[in-house]
Amino acid sequence: MYRRLLFIGSALLLVVILVAWQQSSRTPKPISLTPTLTGETEYCTTCHAELPEISKSHPLQTFGCVSCHGGERLALDADLAHSSMRGGANPSDLSVVEMSCGGSNCHSGSEAENRDHIQRVMTSIQSTYTGAIANIRFTFGAQTDLFPQFGTSAITDEKTQTGITALATFDVATETNPMVQKFGENCLTCHINAVPRDEEVHARQTGCAACHATEQHKLTTAIPYTQCNACHNRGNYDLGSMTFMERTDTPTTRIEDYYQPIAQFTQCEYTLDCVDCHTRSEVMGDGDLHATQKDIQYVQCQTCHGTMTQLPQTKTIVDPNDIALKMEFLNPVSDLKIGDTILVTEKGEPLWNTRVLPDGTYELIGKATSLRFNFRPVMGTACEQKPDEQGSQYCHACHAVER
Amino acid sequence: MPDLSRRDFLKLTTNTLLTASGLLGLGALFRFFGYQTEPAPQTEFDLGAASNYPMDSRTLLPNIPALLLHTKDGFSALSLTCTHLGCTVESKENGFTCPCHGSKYDAQGNVLTGPAIKQLSALRVETTSEGKLILHTD
Repeated sequence: MYRRLLFIGSALLLVVILVAWQQSSRTPKPISLTPTLTGETEYCTTCHAELPEISKSHPLQTFGCVSCHGGERLALDADLAHSSMRGGANPSDLSVVEMSCGGSNCHSGSEAENRDHIQRVMTSIQSTYTGAIANIRFTFGAQTDLFPQFGTSAITDEKTQTGITALATFDVATETNPMVQKFGENCLTCHINAVPRDEEVHARQTGCAACHATEQHKLTTAIPYTQCNACHNRGNYDLGSMTFMERTDTPTTRIEDYYQPIAQFTQCEYTLDCVDCHTRSEVMGDGDLHATQKDIQYVQCQTCHGTMTQLPQTKTIVDPNDIALKMEFLNPVSDLKIGDTILVTEKGEPLWNTRVLPDGTYELIGKATSLRFNFRPVMGTACEQKPDEQGSQYCHACHAVER
Repeated sequence: MPDLSRRDFLKLTTNTLLTASGLLGLGALFRFFGYQTEPAPQTEFDLGAASNYPMDSRTLLPNIPALLLHTKDGFSALSLTCTHLGCTVESKENGFTCPCHGSKYDAQGNVLTGPAIKQLSALRVETTSEGKLILHTD
């Protein structure tokens, strides 16, 4: 009996050692990388060497993988290596963005240092969704006015310029009106602070990646309209049933694809990309809590074209640290340099992809397409628009294309 | 060949299994103790003979990355690691530009435009008694 047990035991011992040896032999030989930013060796490229450089501002040799993605930097087992990753496939998800994009004093900080990207995004309408929440709650009697009380998550704005100092978390469980409840359940999935939907295709539709990740493992500021369309032209909300109705048409032209079928647009609006006109503060927020999209979105036709009596505002670049030069550096489509004159918005934001030409006309270079468009001011044309009707809707009356 | 009794067969097999386990175990032990940790980053670089670098030369050392200068005051070197976040700066007309975030430095490594705040680091260059240059990055 003793000999039989010894035999079985020794056989089992050998099997265990052989399995352990085999497992150990299957572990890949590590390929190490020591990013200059962290100085800490990581083995991620042992398996992920094929991934493209994410952008020229984030080279692998400088940032490595872990400073953005987290994870166990020296693990060679996939499950262990990925066990502490931040945000899964999307480290820019707003639930973890402060540690990933905001880490190492990168995109989190003060306005003076121009590092307040996360702070601005967190207070932006694209994140808080507060206008829609207030409108629905007001419509169904859950609040007595349209003043914003709730956002997708709680947030404060101590230096408010808008009078909105704080938003509480909109909690569908505390709502009593069934329509508001349905709104909370069905209509809060496409803002950039949402919990990402399960399917892989939705993994990068929150946080910074929602706008800046136009391809897998690529970050860019050259954002084509198709990226904005991923949220802004997927369909419409049916307010009767509080459900999202996906588009059912199959657009064949850019104008059909570009915007909601109900809207009117001029040729330049659908020929350009959204980011060619709309500024960083309109899209990413200006650091203040705003009540609605209309409160933050201000660029109109007159921003670039002026009015019958006034030319658009311009600015000549003289400071080598001008933000316009920094933005052009990230997306070098226009060879902007000191001495160039560009258009600026009513709030002084640079439209860095424009130029004032010697003949008094203007040029815009597409941020995503690099195409050049020449255009002229309204002043001096046959336009008969009334001085008090300068909003884009009045321009559309004459200039919108037939659809 | 003598007949092998069942008992002897079991004994022989058991011994063989135990021996194999022991050898594999020893092998694993050697592997464990022979594990090579990551070497510390290199901080000393042998640049070869000083005579290879003529007077007034500016030699790019991309692997370090650094720029070796030979002037009438002797040898000196400038780190080409951007002081903002650590990208390698590129040599441009009369200075250096960071390809990641656009910081600009003059030829001496002083910041012209940010986001970098600090100038490029000066690195120590040692000339040995054999006439070789050693660059120190620590």
